[in-house]
Amino acid sequence: MAKTTRQTQKWLLAAVHLGSLLPLVLFGLDAALGRLGFNPIETALHRSGRTAVAILLLSLTVTPIIKIFNLPMAIRLRKPLGLYAALYAGLHFAAFVVWDFGLNFGLIWLEFTQKPFLWVGLGALVILAVLAATSTRFWKKKLRSGWRRLHRTVYLAAGLALVHYLLAVKGDLLTLQGEYTRPLLAAGALLLLMVLRVPAVQQIFQRNRR
Amino acid sequence: MDQNDYRSVPVNPEEVTPKEVYLSRRKFLKGMGMVGLGALLASCAPAISTVNESPASTEDLREALTSYDAITNYVNYYEFTTNKEGVAELAQDFVTEPWSVELSGLVENPRRFSLDELRTNFEQEERIYRMRCVEGWSMVIPWLGFPLHKLLAAVKPTPQARYVAFETALVPEQMNAAESGMFPFPYREGLRLDEAEHDLTLLATGLYGEDLPPQNGAPIRLVVPWKYGFKSSKSLVRITLVENQPPTLWNTVAPQEYGFFANVNPGVDHPRWSQATERRIGESGRRATLFMNGYAEEVMPLYEGMDLTLNY
Ligand code: HEM
Repeated sequence: MAKTTRQTQKWLLAAVHLGSLLPLVLFGLDAALGRLGFNPIETALHRSGRTAVAILLLSLTVTPIIKIFNLPMAIRLRKPLGLYAALYAGLHFAAFVVWDFGLNFGLIWLEFTQKPFLWVGLGALVILAVLAATSTRFWKKKLRSGWRRLHRTVYLAAGLALVHYLLAVKGDLLTLQGEYTRPLLAAGALLLLMVLRVPAVQQIFQRNRR
Repeated sequence: MDQNDYRSVPVNPEEVTPKEVYLSRRKFLKGMGMVGLGALLASCAPAISTVNESPASTEDLREALTSYDAITNYVNYYEFTTNKEGVAELAQDFVTEPWSVELSGLVENPRRFSLDELRTNFEQEERIYRMRCVEGWSMVIPWLGFPLHKLLAAVKPTPQARYVAFETALVPEQMNAAESGMFPFPYREGLRLDEAEHDLTLLATGLYGEDLPPQNGAPIRLVVPWKYGFKSSKSLVRITLVENQPPTLWNTVAPQEYGFFANVNPGVDHPRWSQATERRIGESGRRATLFMNGYAEEVMPLYEGMDLTLNY
């Protein structure tokens, strides 16, 4: 790799780290200044959930960007983005279990028995956790070709996260009356990203480049 | 406990907390600005009690009054915005005078009441009520107003009248989100006539001893303390007596989630928010949600023989 490319890569990597940590830093700042609003737990759940979804979607843009713009150096951004998505999902879960329900597992279980959208969220969280745990070079070597297949379930995680999101906002999903702008934008983005993974679509871009 | 236990009696003037005390209480809460962080830290402590005991007596409720700041800055008023903490600013220029409320339908004396008439013809009393939002949070609010049955008596419902329909003002020029298409406004709500005539059912014109601010439903709104907050429609322009159960906004949008009765009931869950427990604004942790929001003794006679799980 040329020296300038490596330089660019370094800057991009730094930007990813800073950008991904910013929501957490802002949250800490707001907490310290008492600016989390009148229902801080709700604020925490909403902010962490939305940040997790946003970073997860960003992590999914890396591969299409590499392919479409022929930018192999972007590959280094994918792992940290994926790990940050998992981090925010974990914080979101912690806000629910620790802050909101004070580790009262009876109450937490009651919530799970009554609310399917929590199971959907748990599904996404488990996948993200497994992918984060197996993101190291060690696991990549150990699982060989299985690693790629395993890590393709990130699309499933994103799909589940968005279903969870759509079910978590107030309104009616069938008639779309309610606060659906944001989750639908996110769902549209995921759809687009998946279309970009279709080999036939990628060929169009590659042909155009030549 | 007897009469102390009553949560809805008009409060004697000498009992009413003077404004300065409210204000100092407000300052106090502001001083504790780090409630959020405190809660965060507290939640890390091993012995946190999650479900607080709920106060029952008027005295306790008075202790637990939610701050004026929170009541007026954390509200749902979707005609302005779905962001609860953004309503106050967007609603500040909402014009509430002149204002009148039209009483019509199955009544002997249909007529329009001006705001002045509503404020002066009916003695305003303070009532401290719990407010439980379907989203799983709650407050304790000192309302100022008068029971709806007094107004209904003035127009005399006919024997055919069985329900009361309420309509909220819809002023797109002044309400940012009124025409966003997100919800089928105007906001409509309804009560069964006997519920509407219950002494707890209030038409509020003020809170904390002052006129209602726009974001809380100025100049006059409904308060039905044993039902989820969305039943208590704001900024009323029309009250209509009808024979059949009237359509209501949330019951129309998502009937499986929001029933017509919408009585606070920890035994009937919701697909999104816990109804077994609630977050009291200003407190950390959760407290148990009370059946009928703590007003079961007063209101259960209304529902004798009814299956409250089916009629949620
Ligand atoms: C077991 C795992 C999870 C639990 C218990 C959980 C819990 C919740 C709860 C209770 C809410 C509703 C908050 C409210 O409106 O009061 C919510 C909303 C949300 N969650 Fe989760 N969640 C989980 C996993 C996830 C994951 C893995 C993601 C994303 C990767 C996610 C993203 C979101 C988003 C975007 C929202 C909507 C926030 C908004 O309305 O702005 N959740 N979650």
